[in-house]
Parts: sequence; structure tokens; C-alpha cells
Amino acid sequence: MTSRLMVRICVALIAFTVLARIPAGFDVGFQFDAALAVILGFGLLSLVLLTGYVGQVSLCQATFAGVGAYAAGMTASTFHVDYTVAIAVGVLAAFTLGVVVGLPALRLYGITLAIVTLGIALVFDRYVFQDRIFSWFTGGSGGWRVDSATVFGLQMDSSKHLMAAYIVLLALFCVVALLMVNLHSSGAGRRFRAIRDSELAAATMGVNLTRYKLLAFGLSAGIAGLGGSFYPLVAGSVSPQPFWVFTSLQLAAIAVLMGVRYVPAAFLGGAFMAFVPDVLTRFGHGTLFGRYSYDISYDWFQIVVGVLLIVQLILLPDGVWGDLRMRVMHARSAMQAVTRKRVRVA
Amino acid sequence: MTMLRVRDISVRFGGIVALDGVSLDLNRGEILGLIGPNGAGKTTLFNCISGVIRPDEGSMFFEGRSLRFAPPHERARRGIARTFQNLQLWGSMTVEENLTVPMDALGRRNTLSDALYLPFSAYAERASHERARAILHVLDLGRYANALAADLPAGIQRRVEIARALAMRPRLLLLDEPAAGLDAQETSRLADLLRAVRERFHVSMLLVDHDMSLVMRVCDYVYVLDFGKVLAKGRPSAIRNDSKVVAAYLGEESKEPSAQSNGAAAMTKSDAPLLEVTGLAAGYGHLEVVRDVNLTVRPGEVVACIGANGAGKTTTLRAISGMIRPRHGRVMFGGHDVTGSPAERISRLGLVHIPEGRGLFPRLSVEDTLRLVSNSTGHEVDLAPAFEHFPRLRERRRQAVGTLSGGEQQMVALARAILARPRLVMVDEMSQGLAPTVVRQLFEILRVFREQGIAVLLVEQFVESALNVADRAYVFEHGTIASEGSAAELRRNRKLVAGSYLGTAVDEPAAHANGNGHAKLDPDLLEVVSVKVPAGLKRALEDRAETDGRSAGAVVMDLLEKVER
Amino acid sequence: MSAFAAYTIIGLSLGGIFSLAALGIVLIYRTTGVLNLAHGTMGMFSTFVAWQVFYGWQHPGWPGWLKTAVAVGAGLAFAALLGLFLEFAVFRWVRTRPPVVKAVITIGVLLALQSTASLIWKNNQYHLPIYIAPQDATFVVADVPIGANYVVIVLASLGLAFGLAAFLRYTSFGRAMRAVSDSPVAASLWAVPVGKVGAVSWMLGSLIAAIAGILITPFINFDTTSLTLLILDALAAALIGGMVSLPLTVLGGFVLGLLETYPTIWIQSLGFPRLVALLVIIAVLIVRNPRGLRVAA
Repeated sequence: MTSRLMVRICVALIAFTVLARIPAGFDVGFQFDAALAVILGFGLLSLVLLTGYVGQVSLCQATFAGVGAYAAGMTASTFHVDYTVAIAVGVLAAFTLGVVVGLPALRLYGITLAIVTLGIALVFDRYVFQDRIFSWFTGGSGGWRVDSATVFGLQMDSSKHLMAAYIVLLALFCVVALLMVNLHSSGAGRRFRAIRDSELAAATMGVNLTRYKLLAFGLSAGIAGLGGSFYPLVAGSVSPQPFWVFTSLQLAAIAVLMGVRYVPAAFLGGAFMAFVPDVLTRFGHGTLFGRYSYDISYDWFQIVVGVLLIVQLILLPDGVWGDLRMRVMHARSAMQAVTRKRVRVA
Repeated sequence: MTMLRVRDISVRFGGIVALDGVSLDLNRGEILGLIGPNGAGKTTLFNCISGVIRPDEGSMFFEGRSLRFAPPHERARRGIARTFQNLQLWGSMTVEENLTVPMDALGRRNTLSDALYLPFSAYAERASHERARAILHVLDLGRYANALAADLPAGIQRRVEIARALAMRPRLLLLDEPAAGLDAQETSRLADLLRAVRERFHVSMLLVDHDMSLVMRVCDYVYVLDFGKVLAKGRPSAIRNDSKVVAAYLGEESKEPSAQSNGAAAMTKSDAPLLEVTGLAAGYGHLEVVRDVNLTVRPGEVVACIGANGAGKTTTLRAISGMIRPRHGRVMFGGHDVTGSPAERISRLGLVHIPEGRGLFPRLSVEDTLRLVSNSTGHEVDLAPAFEHFPRLRERRRQAVGTLSGGEQQMVALARAILARPRLVMVDEMSQGLAPTVVRQLFEILRVFREQGIAVLLVEQFVESALNVADRAYVFEHGTIASEGSAAELRRNRKLVAGSYLGTAVDEPAAHANGNGHAKLDPDLLEVVSVKVPAGLKRALEDRAETDGRSAGAVVMDLLEKVER
Repeated sequence: MSAFAAYTIIGLSLGGIFSLAALGIVLIYRTTGVLNLAHGTMGMFSTFVAWQVFYGWQHPGWPGWLKTAVAVGAGLAFAALLGLFLEFAVFRWVRTRPPVVKAVITIGVLLALQSTASLIWKNNQYHLPIYIAPQDATFVVADVPIGANYVVIVLASLGLAFGLAAFLRYTSFGRAMRAVSDSPVAASLWAVPVGKVGAVSWMLGSLIAAIAGILITPFINFDTTSLTLLILDALAAALIGGMVSLPLTVLGGFVLGLLETYPTIWIQSLGFPRLVALLVIIAVLIVRNPRGLRVAA
């Protein structure tokens, strides 16, 4: 068992070292995308936990990230503390909101839960993030500006020290991903999965549904909020647009597309969401055969995501990664049958 | 000592009384059976005890404490475990993981330390997994420990569910139709397993099932429910011979001669069968309820399907009409192969299926419902014939079907058959929940069908009424057809039929062998020993126990006493 | 007092829109089991088509009412085709899936339609709304001036609701639709063409969404996202009706409209009405949801 843990730590370290180097050779725009990819990856991780592990549908993950972002921005701008404190506040705020959202979720399932979380996303989007009453939280129509800050002693800001932000984000992402994978195979992870597979059986077998569901919502929101807290640093300011309801819907869509039960899918999805639109805008103009000019913009990306989601749900319920994983597992068990390797029974 | 005390439980769903003042006692070390015809309230009572439903009146005490405000996980903590009729295993986890969840849940585990793999968690993990493997070994499931629960066949999944419930160290185990989907052999193995479990794990059990052979073999004491009340209680052998119980299941024995001689005469025409079912297999999810059914219905015939609940009659009808897909076999209707066809197509070919629950539309009026019927040219039909046969419906034509009485609803369903002039009408449990006078009226309508040349395939719990009106009958048992014959033959051989409902006379000294010498045994000692003793030594103990004819626990006690001295 | 009456009328017309949108949602949900989160988006797209015909073409000297009629007609025709397309291309393949999966599919539809509209019409807010009645026409009732367009909306909503009810009650296809909505399984046993019913439901639902969209244009900033977001209020109204009863849905819509409008007397906020809708949803779901556990779907 500990050997599995070692393997996971190694994989995480390798992934980190490889990925940390990549954006260094590119321009600021690319570095921004890389950082954004990780932030979005946090959003997807939160969905993997909440929907993939525990089976609770949620369409408001971007809202949790937004609350994290605004709380962090507010703390940094109003109290002028080290940004690490701001991040902590952001995570805490998101966690709290998660638990609050989890309360009605105790009684709701499937579609009704989706509706309520959608409603929360909409209300925060249109009301909390935009209304004057909340300007103490949102910093008014301009949002908070964070010009530079220190995290763990490292100087970072949105123009000159973007790489530092990216590396810290990546490190945190690897740590959280590692914790989540550990959680999955641990006792608590099994209790979460029991709730997903059969809530009735879980309750009758002693799992305290209230405790675990609220915990799941809180943790999930906290993870999204962790990513979100870095946003003001990476972008320089916070505005409602990145955290609006369509981002939540996109997160849900990409998570399902990539495979909502698997952590690696979260990373794939994050990269997908951050890089593809930008690549499209950069290289998406031009002329075809010298005659037809085309202009592929962000909208095309969303169209493709929507259509892919529809097609995928009709054909492949387990997501791209999930399907791959299934094929690998089947291939592996087929090979084992051939080489007569017996499974060790204790 | 009375472990479970249930007093005057009443449950009402809307206007229907599901349970009416039911009281029940379960003693420590007992295996208690709860039986009754369909709709008697067994499942409702079961759900009250396990915490899924809250009763409207009455009280329940477990080991002296009231269960009134205890949610399901609290009941689990107090020592009540249950299994599920439709198998609620956690499919994405292995068998071993399935067992560790209840153990962990009832211990004190911390999510964060789990995620960080702190030493405490790692230790607790190892202990849980060891204990899980021990339990699996006892139930002979050791080789499935690392298999995904979802991939296992239904019989194995049942055992895993029981193992999982036992992992909770329960004092009371509630078993919800554990024999559902099992064939005769598997059921008998299940009976042995349950007795062994009681011995090894020192649990009391409450068992709800339709399968009489299981109940008779395993239970010490049986309660019979009917119409929400306790009809009878006693030892299994006494129950089986109780005339009230027999009547509740089979219907009253009627003294009238059967008026069906015309039926036999009409059978000289040996035309091609209208409905031909060969090798049919069907089920739900992992359960295979129907294994190998072969039956035919000729034009104008009335054929009855009788047999205990859970034997596969309803599932067979559903597989024929397209409500569910058959897994194997073939269904030929009127010369067309309709195996696996959608229900719409089959009903348009002239097959009317009136399912359990009548298959009506609660918010449509009687008239609107009947107007849904269209004839072969696609036009609406004249409703007059329906109202001729059912004058009551004419009065209630604008009333919503959901507000009609059970008998009137059944009339609406049958009226459709009169209007649509199908070739075959399949009726499932027409008499369910209806008073005898109404039932007699409805059975008269079946004669009308025969007059009009419409064939009838009838599933009926009340054997008497069914055999009165049918030409032939098939007797279902454990998902396949055990016997068939003309109605007259089967009426004469009432014992054969009764046996299939109430269990064949396997007169085992069922209850007596249990419990000897166990009352003094400390269950915790047994547990401790089974975890910490190395496997080899454990097996040696078990072998010794077998040769001595005692339980392993008794052997250990013996050895320990010797050590002390 | 007159201010109160004015707000009431506004609330009722807003409620009328909600009722319409909710009717479409309930219809589709009952007959196909799909909770159409893209309902507002579909309506939005059809409304844009109508706008395009109205403002984009050069109509040589046609009278105003003809322009309006052609535009509206084009929008409705598109809506019907869109509904049919979705049924045949997407939803008939997923009839047996659990409701959550079908709802997530509608998210895909939402995203795809949303971006297509954004691609064609850009994300601007300067679009002019379509008026059914002349903009400044008013009725005067008991000394209170009431905008004609508001009245049009209330009447249209009620009229459509009654029309739908009549269709369902008195025609044979309406009977078939009610049968499927009561019990799809029983309907297939009664040889009711469930597939056809589903297709017509999608068509009707899309039409109703389009009408709601076209009628609401005088009141809101008309762009590609705002109508999509109407889904929340429509869902609230549908849930008040329990996703079953059409009359209760209509009533729920009107009540919700009033509940959202009255607070604006005191609270000037664009987003506050959304909060009201959300609270209604939560309240209805908690109150209606039976206690007890359910098996995971």
C-alpha cells in the first residue's frame, strides 16, 4: 500500500518538474494561459470530488472560485497583508459557501440539485457579483486591483513575475491532486463513493449522510476557491465575467467530457479550456487557399464543446479519459488471463 | 429476551391502509419469517423496521430502546443491518472495499488523516481489510475479494450483501427477499448459508420472502400478514397447514363444478398457436427472474399462469409484451417474431397487456382513456359496446380514472379489450386488492372474451378463480415452468398446486437444531478469535470443530479452559 | 396607489412570460422526461431570427403590421424546426437514460446554441426590441395609464395557456399527449405513438419558448445571454406547478412575476429578482420533497 503512495508521489513530482519548465520559454500571454489552465484545473478538480466521487451534481463551481477570488482580492486590497493570508481567506470563504449550498442539497438529488446550483450560479453572477450592495465584497464595478504581492516569500504579479505565480499554482495543484487520489482509495473516499453508488445502502450501513455530503460540498468549494484566490494575482484584477454562469456550465461540460471521475482528466480539461480558445484567437484568422478568410473565435470553441458533450453523452457515458482507462483495464485483464497470472487473495 | 418489539404499527398511504395495528416480537437468536400474499404489507413493515418509512402510529423497540427518531445510520450504529431485494451493492468498489465501508463508518475515521495517509489511518485500514477478508472467508467468498462488485453474478452478489451486513457486527439482520432471482438450488444453498451465519456470527434475523421453501427451511417462527393485519403466527409446519393461510394464498376452495366443458370441446381445432414462447429468459439488472419458459396460447383459448410470487409470471408477461427485453429465447405472435420489439409495435399487432397496476392514466377521464383506442384503420371506435358491458362506467365517464375504485379501474382496462378487438389479452393479477364479488364479475368478462374469439393469458394468484375460467394452466416455480395441464387436471390435484405455493413437504427439523450451546457463548470472544488467529490455526480449529460436531467457538472455549487449568 | 397598480400590471406581464416559458418546460418534461435547461436559449435564438427578418431585410414599402407578422412567422417557423431537429438528432437516442443525463445534454445544447447566436449576432446590447403593439399606445383604466404592450402580453399568455389546455383536452392528439405525460410505459402498451408525441412536444415547447421570447423584448436588454438566463424564473414557475399541473404552473408564473416586481419599488437592483426566484425554487423543492431516501439513479 505504501508503495502505491510512493508511486503517486513520484508521478506528481515528475509531472511537476516537467510542466513547470514549459511556459518559461514563451511569452507573457502563454504564461497567462498556463496559469489560467491551472486555475481552471482547480475548478475541474472540485467537480471530480463533488460529482465524480460523491455523485452530487453541481452547476456552480465557478461561483465558488469567484467567491475565493473576490475574498482574496478584498483581503489583499483592504488589509494589505501578505497574499498568503488572502489565499487562506479566499479558501475559507469558498468553503463556507460550499457548506451553505450543501444544506439544501441534503434533501435534493439529481435534477433538482442541478437546478438549485444553477440558480445559485445565476444569483451570484447577476446579483452578488454585480450589485452595489455587495461592493464591499466585490470592490465596486472595477473590482479589486492587485498589482503585486508576495506568496510564501516569492514576489509575484501579473506582468513580470507571472512564472512565479504559475509555479506556485502548479505545485499546489499537484499537492491537491495527490491528496485527492489518496482520498479516493482511502476509507473516507470509499464512504464518498458509497454515497454515489447507493445512498440508501450507505445510510443503512452507517454512513452519516449529512456529515459527508456537507464535507464534500465544503471541500469541493474550497478547492475551487483555492484556484480562484490566485486569479487576482494572475490577471491583475477581478471582474465578474470569468466567474459567470457560463463558466460553471462549461466546467461541468468539460468535466463530463473528460471523465468526471478521474483526477488526470481535470488537468487535461484545464489545459483544454485555457489553451484552445487562445490558440484559436491567435492562429484562428487567416485565409484558406488564399481566398476564403476565416475567423475562428472563442464562440467556436464553445460550440464545439457543446456539440462534443451531446455526442459524448449519447455514445460514451464515461468521458474520454474514462473510456481510455476502461480500455486499458480490459486490455490488462485480458493479458493477465493469457499469462495466467493469479490475483493474490489474502 | 425480546430483541425487537413492534407494537400496533399502522401505515397509511393516502387513502390506502398498508398496515393496520401490526404487532410482532423477535427473540434473541431467532430467525423470524414474515410472509403474506402480494400487497399484504410485508415490505411496508420491513421498511418501517429498517428506518426507510416512518409509521403513522405505533412503536418499535430494539433491545429496550425506542426506534422512533433513529435515522437509518443511527439504527446501523445500534446493531440493525439489512440487505436489499434489488441488490444495493456499491458497484464501483471491490467486494473487500464494500465490506470495509460499514466497518469504517461505524468506527471513528477522519477524512483528513485518511487523505494524508497518517499512521493511524493506515493502521485502521489494515485492520479493516483483515477483518473483511476473514468474513469473506467464512462465507466462502474469499476468491472474489478483489473483484468489482458490479461484475459478479446475482447469486454471489447476494452473498456479498449478506457479508457486508455482517461486517457491521449487527445484532439483528433484516433480509429483504434474499431469494429473489435465485433458482431452486441456489435457494437451498442460501438456506444453509443463513443458518451457518446465525451460528457463526450470532445474529438474529428477520426474513421477508415469497419463497416458501426458504422460509420453511430456515425460520424458527413465522408471521403471516394479509391486508395489513397479522393473519396467523406460529412454527413453519403449523403455518403451512393452517387453512386460513392456505385460503389467503390460493383463494377459497370452491365446491361448484367447473362450467368450462365448452372450452374443452372447442379445443379440437388445432390451428397454429397464436402466441408461442420458446426458451424465454429475462430479468432486471443482475437478477435473472425468468430462466427458461416455454408456453403457447392457441386462438380463443384461456390459459392461466399460476405459481408463487417471484416465480416469474409477471416478468414473463412483460417480456412478451415488450415492456422489458428478453435476454434469450423467442416470442412469436400471430406469425410475427416480436422478440425484443418495442411495446408499441406489439400492441398494434393485436396484443393487449393489462399489467399489474392496470396500466392506466390517472388523470385522464374514463371517456378520454377509451377514446385512445383506435381500430385497425386508425380511427376512433364507438364506445357503446364498452358501456353496455360496464354500465357503471357510463355513469362515471367524465371522472378521472385515478379517482375510481380498484374494481372500476379494472373495468376500464378490460373495456379497452372489448373495444380494440385484439387477438390476445394478457391480464396480470386482475383480482389484486378487489373484493370477491367484484372479482366474480370481472371473471365473467373473460368468458365474454372467449365468446368473441379473443384468447386470454391470465396470471392469477388465486388459483381457484383462475382454474374455473381457464382451459389450461402453467405452474411457475423459480423462474421456469414446473408443470402444466388442463384446468380440470390441476383442480383435482390441489395438493400439487398448494405445494408450489407453500413449499413442498421438506420436513426438516428446521428449528430444533439451532441454538444449542450457543446461548452461553460470548459473541465478542468469537470475533476477537477470528481476527487475530493465524489462518492455518483457524482452519485447524474449524476442522476439529467439524469432526467434533460442534462450533469452532465451543472448541476454542474448551481449549482455553484447558489452558487455564 | 396608481404606482402600485402600475407595478401590478408590470408584474403580471412579467409573470405571463414566465408562465409561457414554464408551460413549455413542463410539457417537454412530462412527455419526454427531459428537463430542458436550454429552453430560454432556444427561445432566444428564434427571437433573433425574427429580429433578423424584421430589421435585416429591406421590406419595400410594406405596412408595419405585415413586417411584424412576417418576422414573427419566420421566428415561429424556425422554432418549430429547431424543436423537431433536437428531437430527431438528439433526444430520441437517449430516451431510456436517467433524467440527470438528459438534463446535462441540454447543457450541451445550451452552450452550442448560445455561441452560435453569439457568432452570428455578436454580443452587443444595442438591438431594438420588436413591438407587437405601437410603443406608446396606452389604455386608461380607472385613471391609470397602462402600456398596451403589457396588456398584449398578459392576454397572449392567458390565451396561449387556454389554447394549449383546449388542445390537450379536446383533440385526439392532445389525449395521446396527456396519456404519455401520465405514464409513458402504459402509453406504449396502449399503442400510443410515443415517439410522435415526443416530437410534437419538442416542437410545441420550442414554439412557446419563441413566443415568450418575442413578447418579452420590450422589457429587457435584448442580447444573446439574457433570455437564456430566463430559465431560472421559468423553472421556478414550473416547480410551483409541481412539474405536473398546467393551471398551477400558469398561476405560479403570475405569482412569481408579482413577487419579483413588487420589491423593485424599494430595491433598485438588476439582480435582486433572480434571488427571489432562487428562494422560491428552494422553498418549493424543500416543501414538496418527500422525506425519505431515494436510490441513486
